Parts: sequence; C-alpha cells; structure tokens
Amino acid sequence: MSISGKLRQRCRRFTVLVIALVALGGLYTALAPSSAAEDSAADAAKSSTAVAEGKQLFEQGCISCHGFGLQGIADRGPSLVGVGASSVEFQVSTGRMPLARQEAQAQRKPPKYSDAQVAALAAYVQSLGGGPQIPPGNLRGGKDDIVLGGELFRLNCASCHGLTAIGGALSSGKFAPSLKDATDRQIFAAMQTGPQSMPAFGDNQISQQQKKAIIAYVQSMKADKDPGGFGIGRTGPIPEGLVVFLVGIGALLVATLWIAGKS
Amino acid sequence: MSEEAVPPQSQLDVHDPSLTTFDLVAEGARRDGVEIAHYRLRFDPEQPKTRAEKRIERTIALCFLITGAAALAFVGIFGFWDWSYKSGAGADKWFTPLLGSAMGVALLGIGMGLVIWNKKLMPEEVAVQERHDGASSDEDRTLTAASLMNVVNDTGIRRRPLLKGAVAFGLAPVGLMAVAPLGAMIEDPKDDLLTTGFRKGVRLVRMDGSPLRPDDISAGGVETVFPGIPGGTTNKHADSPTLLLHLRETDAEKVIVRKDQEGFHHGNFYAYSKICTHAGCPASLYEQQTQRLLCPCHQSQFDVLRGCKPIFGPATRALPQLPITLDDEGFFIATSDYHEAIGPAFWERP
Amino acid sequence: MKLPKIKPAELPAKGAVWADDRLAAAGPLRRLMNKVFPDHWSFLLGEIALYSFVVLLLTGTFLTLFFDPSMTEVTYNGSYTPLHGIKVSQAYASSLNLSFDVRGGLIMRQIHHWAALLFMASILVHMFRVFFTGAFRRPRELNWLIGISLLILGMVEGFAGYSLPDDALSGTGLRIASAIMLSIPLIGSWVTFAIFGGEFPGDVILPRLYIAHVLIIPGLLVALISAHMALLVKQKHTQLPGRGHTEKNVVGHRMVPGFAAKAGGFFMIVFAVLALLGGWFQINPIWLFGPYEAGVVSAGSQPDFYIGWLDGSTRLWPAWEIHAFGYTVPAVFWPTVVLPGVVFTIAALWPFLEARFRKDHAHHNVLQRPRDVPWRTALGVMAITFLMVLIISGGNDVIAEKFDISLNAMTWAGRIGLILLPPLAYFITHRMCLGLQQHDRQILAHGVETGMIRRLPHGEFIEVHQPLPSGRSHMTDQLESRNGHGDHAGENADVHVDGHVDGHADGHGHVDVEEEYQQIPVPKKMNKLGVGGQSPPGFFRTIEDDGHAALPPATSEPRDPARSTTE
Repeated sequence: MSISGKLRQRCRRFTVLVIALVALGGLYTALAPSSAAEDSAADAAKSSTAVAEGKQLFEQGCISCHGFGLQGIADRGPSLVGVGASSVEFQVSTGRMPLARQEAQAQRKPPKYSDAQVAALAAYVQSLGGGPQIPPGNLRGGKDDIVLGGELFRLNCASCHGLTAIGGALSSGKFAPSLKDATDRQIFAAMQTGPQSMPAFGDNQISQQQKKAIIAYVQSMKADKDPGGFGIGRTGPIPEGLVVFLVGIGALLVATLWIAGKS
Repeated sequence: MSEEAVPPQSQLDVHDPSLTTFDLVAEGARRDGVEIAHYRLRFDPEQPKTRAEKRIERTIALCFLITGAAALAFVGIFGFWDWSYKSGAGADKWFTPLLGSAMGVALLGIGMGLVIWNKKLMPEEVAVQERHDGASSDEDRTLTAASLMNVVNDTGIRRRPLLKGAVAFGLAPVGLMAVAPLGAMIEDPKDDLLTTGFRKGVRLVRMDGSPLRPDDISAGGVETVFPGIPGGTTNKHADSPTLLLHLRETDAEKVIVRKDQEGFHHGNFYAYSKICTHAGCPASLYEQQTQRLLCPCHQSQFDVLRGCKPIFGPATRALPQLPITLDDEGFFIATSDYHEAIGPAFWERP
Repeated sequence: MKLPKIKPAELPAKGAVWADDRLAAAGPLRRLMNKVFPDHWSFLLGEIALYSFVVLLLTGTFLTLFFDPSMTEVTYNGSYTPLHGIKVSQAYASSLNLSFDVRGGLIMRQIHHWAALLFMASILVHMFRVFFTGAFRRPRELNWLIGISLLILGMVEGFAGYSLPDDALSGTGLRIASAIMLSIPLIGSWVTFAIFGGEFPGDVILPRLYIAHVLIIPGLLVALISAHMALLVKQKHTQLPGRGHTEKNVVGHRMVPGFAAKAGGFFMIVFAVLALLGGWFQINPIWLFGPYEAGVVSAGSQPDFYIGWLDGSTRLWPAWEIHAFGYTVPAVFWPTVVLPGVVFTIAALWPFLEARFRKDHAHHNVLQRPRDVPWRTALGVMAITFLMVLIISGGNDVIAEKFDISLNAMTWAGRIGLILLPPLAYFITHRMCLGLQQHDRQILAHGVETGMIRRLPHGEFIEVHQPLPSGRSHMTDQLESRNGHGDHAGENADVHVDGHVDGHADGHGHVDVEEEYQQIPVPKKMNKLGVGGQSPPGFFRTIEDDGHAALPPATSEPRDPARSTTE
C-alpha cells in the first residue's frame, strides 16, 4: 500500500470516528437528564474563555514537548490531538505532567497547575480534536454499588494495582501506581483513557455506572480502617515476615537476655 | 524418666531430725547425680525485710495485680464492646487491638512477675549434674541381645521352612491391603489437562455471563472472558479464563503471528490463555504501551505482538492462543478449543 | 459410725501418699525435678517454638469450632457489607464469619497466624544456634534429624493453613502448588489428580488439606516434639564452653524451682507477644483479597516467608525446560522440587557429613563458640546468605515497586547475587571469626583495656591494661578432656598473632602467653571485670559472657562470699 493510500485510509477512519463521536454526543444530549444538559449549556458559555486561557497555558508550559497545536514533537512528546479533556485532567492534576524528566514512567507528584488551570488546559485540548471527557456530576457510586465495584475491581484492576490498591511493579521499571491519593475524577479518567501502560476501559466494556461502582469500592476500601490493628501497608506476607522477625523475634530475644541474665 | 540414679551407697540418715530441708534437698539432688555447687539466699529470712526486698515484693505484686486488672478488662471488652462491623473508622475497629492489648498485658504481667520473682527473690543457685553418656554397659548389651535372639529360637522358625514361606507369602499381601485403600484417591487425568471449556461455537462471555461484540472493547483495551457454558465463569473451569485483547491499529500492524496460528485472531482482536504456562497464575498484567503481559507470581513476561512468546523470566512457552471469530449475531465465539495444553507444563504434555 | 474429720491442710500430703502408694513415683519425679538446665539465653530459642506451638493448638482449637472447609458455593450474607451477596465457597464464607461474626474470632485468627510465623521463625533461629555451636554432633544426630523433620512438617502445615480460607491469595498459592506437583516427571499429573481429586481446583482439596492441617500433621508434630524433648532429657543438655563446664557435667539450674519459674514466665511472655501482635498488627486480611476466582490475581502475590525462599528460587530460575522424546521436564521442577530436596538432604545429613570429613566421631557435650570453628560458621552464614537472596527475590516485585527499581533488574540482581554473595559471605565470615579469636588472644595476653592513659618517664604514652584475674587458669584442667579430642587445635593453627602481641603461635595453635587460649569467652569490658577484679553486675551486664562466673571451680573451696554478692 502506498503512503498516500495509507494516509487516505487513516483519514477515512478518522472521519468515521468523528461521525461516530458526533452521533454518540447527540445521543448523549438527547438521553442525558435535563440538569446535565443545563450544566453543559452553562459550560459552553464559559468554555470559550477557558479555551483561550488554556491555549495560553499550553504555549507557556507544554508546547516544548507536545508541539504547536498539539501536534507532538518526535522523541519528546506525543501528539495530544484527540486525547480529550479527561486525559489532560488525569495527567496534569496528578502532577505527572509536566514531566520532571524522561524515565520509564511518569510519577505522581504535587500538581503544578491549579484546578481552574487544569480545567482550562483540558478545555483547550478538547477544543482541538475532541476525545473522552469526564462526565459531570457525582462519579462515586452509592453504597449499593460497592459489591459490584469490588467484583469488577478484583477482575480488571487488581492484577496490576493489587487487591488492596497499593500498586505493583510492571516490567522494566514501569509500575501500576498506588490508588492511595487518587480522586474520583482521576480514577474515572484513568479507566476512560488508559494512561501510559494502563489499558483503556471504554464505556462499552465497563459502563459509566460500573466505573462509578469501582470508584465507590476503591474509595470505601481506602476509607475503611483496618479492623485488625495496623494494616502494615496492606502489603501481605512480606511486611508480615518482617514484623515477625523484627518485632516478634526481636522482642523475645530481649526477653531471653533478660531471663538468662544474672540479676 | 530414664535417668540413671546414683546407687544410694550412703550414709545420710534422711530421718535424722537435725537435718534442715535444704540438707534433704541437697541429699536428694546428690543421689540424682546433681551437686548444688552454689546456693545462696538473696535475703535472710531471719532478718527484718530490707527496703530493697520490700520494693521487689511490691514490684512483683504490682505485676500480678496488673494481670488481674487486664484480664478483667479483657472480659469486659469481650462482652460489652460494640464490635459489629461498620464501614469507616468506628469503635468496632478498636475491638481487636483492645482485646490484644488486654490479653498481652495480662500475660506479660504473669510472665514478668514470675521472672522477677525468680531472679530477685528466689535463692541464687548453680547446680552441676553429672552425665553418664555413651552406650549401655557391655553386660546389658549381651543380655538384651540374647533375649532378642531367643525370640527367634523360641519360634523355631529356622527349622520350619513351611512356616517361613507361609509367613512371607501370607502376610506380605496384608501390607498391600493396608495401602490399597489409598488407591481410592487415584483419578485418571485422561485429557483433562489438554482441554478447556471452549469448543467450536462456544461464546466468549464476561464474568456476568454476557457475550461480547467487537465494539465492546476499545482499542488498547483488554477483557477477561470465559467460555459461555454452564459454570463457565466459575472455578469449575479454572483452566478457561482467557484474555481478549483489542490491539490498536498501529500495534496490530506489527503483530507476527505464530506458525499455524494465522487465522486465530479476528481483526485486531486476539485471545490468549490467561493461565501462565509457567506455574498457572493469571498472567494478566497488560502493558498496552509496550504490549507485554506480565505474570505477577514469577514475573514471566510475554510479548503480545509475537504470539505471546516469553521474553523474560522463568516461563518457557508462549501463552496458547484461542482461535476466535464472530457468530451470526456478531458475538465472539471460539472456532475450537485451544490447540495446545494451557497452563503449566507436565511430563506427558505433547 | 463416725466419719473421720477432714483436715484441708493435710490433703496435699495425703494425696501425694495415696498416689505414691500406687505409682512409686517419688524417685523418678525427684530425678526429673533435679534435671539441670543451662541458663544461657540461646537455650531459650527452641522454647519459643514450643510455646508458639502450644498457642497454635489453643487458638487453632477455637478456630475449628467455627470453620467449615467445604468448597460448596454459597451466597455470602455476613456482616462484611462490601462482599454482600456474592457467590463464595463455604470455606471463605466461614473464614469471613470468623473475622466479622464471631466475637473475638478475628483476634484468634490473627494470633493463630502470627503464632504460625513465629513458630517457623523460632525453629529457624533455634536451628542456627544448634548449627553454629555444633550441638548437632554425636550423640545428638537423631535430635537434629527430628528437628529437620519438624521444620519441613511446619512448612507443610503452614502452607495448608494458608490455603484453607480460600481467599484470592491462598487460591493463587494452591494453583502454584498444583503446578509444582504437575512438574514431577513421570507421575506428576497422576499425583496432582490424586491429591486434588481431579483437575485443579476440584472440590475436595480444602477438606483434605483441612484434615491434614488439624489432625494428621499436628499429630505428627506432637509426636516428634515429644520425641525431641524426650531425647533432650535422656541425653541432657549441651552447654557452651566456660568456667567449670566439662564433657562430663551440665552446669545450670535445677528444673524445679529455678528453671520452671523462668520457663513458665517465658511462656507467658511469648504468649503475650503473640497476643499483642494479634491485636495490633493486621495479618492476612482475607476480606480485602476477596474469594479465590481462577481469573483473579493480584500484583505482589507472595506466600508466607517460610515458603518465600522457594517462590524466590522459582522467580530466579531461568527458562530452562527439557523437552525430549515427547516428554517434558518443566522449568518449575528444578527450583521447587529439586532445590528443597537438595537443601533438606544436605541439612539432614550434615552431622554425618561433618563427622566424616572432619574425622570427628567423638562424643560432644560442650559446644563450640562460632568463632572457634571458622569454616563451619562461614558455611552456615553462606547458607543463610543463599536463603536470604532467595527470600528477597521472593518479594522482588514489592521491593521493585516500593524502592523504584526495575523489576527485571531485581531479577538479574537476584540471579547474580545468588552466585556471588554466598562465597563472599563465606570469606568475610571466616576472616571475622579469625579476627575475633585474635582479639580474645590479645586480651588474654594483655588484659582488658581500661581507657586510662599513663605517661612513662621517657615520655611515651601507654594505655593501662587490667590483667585478668589469675583464677581463670583454673579452667585449664577442666577443659583438658575437651582439648584432648585434638580436633580443635587444628582450627587455630592458621591464626597468627601480629606484632604487638607478645607471643607467637606454636604448632598446636596455642599462644605462648600468660593465659592460654581455650576457646571460652574472655572478659572484654571493664564492667565485666571491675578495676579491683570485682564485677558490678546488673541487668544485661553479666559478669562474663558465659554467665557462670559465680561457679566456683568444682574442685576448689567455696568462693569468698563477698565476690558473689549481688544487688
């Protein structure tokens, strides 16, 4: 296949995608509850100023890697066309972007931008090429969703993030982060967009309702104090082994010295 | 116990009224081969108690009283604390730590009280016990050996070859009879290790039993699927969990399929066994950027773009690929079972 | 008829007479009460294991009142709401009930699990004590073998217990266990099917493990522990080298009352530590792990530490699978079946191997200080290093994640470390042992450093050394029998005392100085000796390391009372 043929094919695919997205969006506005529709109308009014502000922020802080007009720069940063507001919010609000240095994987750190700035950046990226957005409203399911969320979490998330959501190692220096500090919006955005090594979980695979259930499970598990004393990181047998030697054997060695020592 | 007593060749009249209790103790010990080499009272019972002695008494008493209080606290907490589970950080979360503290303090009180009593109030002592190790005496050996040998003579088995044979052939099967019931445990593996719940036409379903269409998994996504048969999602089919991967277009272009597995995928959808070929854990840590699958148990890594061949760690074989296609309604189905044994290897594995 | 009046104060005496009339127990009982126990702290390590085992029996009995190992699927409806209504096995449901619906069940579960870990940890520590001091030598080879059996049985027992709750971690462990069984050449699949009653997981494995966990293995453990202690009583304790300690005696406390009070107190302290661990440190929170499902796995899946070294070896083993003539020997087979087989065989045969290679077939009741047998100590540390690399590798994913190291780098570090570190540990330990010996020789030659500096008339500064009390030479004759075996002297022949010690090593390894090197502890600090030759003893400050300074040499007259005054 010639290069132009490939390009044509991609364009075609892109067109199909855009049409599909527009159709989906239409469907969403038609079906969404009216309050959400009002919200989005209000958002639209704000958005033009937000986009302008976001563009300014982007050109100050992000353009050196992600390039003019989100096009990306080879070997420095990927194109951001079509990644969507959700992805921007995840990367920037968790402090992963801007990147401190090139390494196996971006680390969570204190965010460099305020919530309003993050929203502006997200609006700007969204305005050029669209992409997934975090739906408005409460993202955390109710009490009744926790059980379902737990089942989905164990099957889909625990393999990398661990059954206790403390994170885990991946190959060659990459890792699945701990969800300790993750907010509802960040967890939602991560599932929706699949940042870095993480696979994306589209709404057809795990519905928005199910995502909210997973968030409900994770947040309630984090908030639930351990009933058996110190959780020692909920890390399983490794800290348990350390405790039995350092605390158990350690304390008893002191006891043996005391008992056998001369008085 | 089987200690050798020193023969009482002695001397001391144990009924002599002039002997003190300690004299009797020392004599008893001596007859057992133990010399009390050093014995000193820490405090003279004849003298008025010193301040130090009273202080030690108070310390020990305190230990035991703390034990009593803590034991009562344990009973109280056990009986009356509100311990039923509630999500969050309520009083129920303190039930176990409080019980542990009360029990620990109570036991520690007894332990420390006893040890301090021993170390501070009971007499200082160094005892030396003689040992007599080594073999039994030559006489004992000879006599016992004779007794044992005589058992053979008494039976007369040496000159009764018929009985010898009868015992051997008659009783040996009893041993077999004793072991035979364990045979009830034997199960023929047949081809159970070679087959899973998938066959031609079986749908790939989610955990809740619902079938999947291609647009249910976005590009770069992964879903654990099970055979759509009764009990297919339960542990009855622990060999069947399968990863259905939807590769991005850019990744799908790079795929090198394994030999003889050309038609196994459907478009950019690839189905690989989730059961690691090394030790059987679900190898399901999917890195969608590097297109690797990692097994969390022993860190084997598989390259999704090269037919899930192992590229790091102890695994030796690629994850088997499940041949898939779509049925008339557009749902994923298997076109057959796996073509090779899934999961860990074994001797007869073809 | 007039009934005799009962006098309560006379009842114990009358009861004793009644019993002795029938049992004639006075003599044997007194002999038992008079058994002498050495009082060095290291002799209490095995007791930790014994007491942990008692705690295991007590808490385990409580757990059996509520646990049901059935693998039947039920709907969980207990108090732990996040798992409400999901389908789980009866075993998992009853484990959850134990944690949330049985009053005090959680602390019993936690104490039980901590006691299991402490049981295994203390067996290891005790075993190292026995190894490093040479306590396994003739006549105690049998007890060493029983000890190795207890260690192996403890591993199996612990693994069975870890598997019973049927949570996601224990199911993952069982799945790996089935893979290990499958890997056995020729019979692997038949063994696996026999044990699991079919293909993994089947529905009989938990009930079978349960009966093994609560009846068969504990029965064996009780029998072996009883034999272990019966042999200990029959053969009497070993003792560390020290003042008045000979091959023909045991120095210490009689069992009653001294040792019994200490041992009883120590049991309570061990139990207390377990209760505090069980109350304050959460262990194995199965409710967070969820039920075992074949498709579920967690990052950072590990077994308990005593199995962890085998998990580590499995992670490090390269992808070497033998596939020939249509048959397969899987990679798993070598690190999980062959390696422990080799390790435990060497460990079990060690007393016999050592006797053979050292040509030492003599009876030994006096132990050796680790520094005096540098090659054995170094071999032991080498083995510990080997196991430590494996255990660390068993958690290499958690370490990689917590310390931000590449997982692949951790695996390679483990592979290389497993080959390089043990010999390095051997070399370092050997040098350290020799150094410690030399330090002892210096003190014997010069006395203890006092920290007092004096200026000599010609201007030189010297540190004043306190010479050792001359009474120490009493030890010489009592140690004759030990040195008479002639197997120790060779150990020291390669030690050279350097320039600033006024002595030289002769052919027998003895330093020709005032005090002879006798492989027994020497005082190191002023507070163990005192300026006037009198010790100020107290907590943790023993008069001498061996704890027997109060012992008058058995042949000499009673000590000056002033010297044994304690406060």
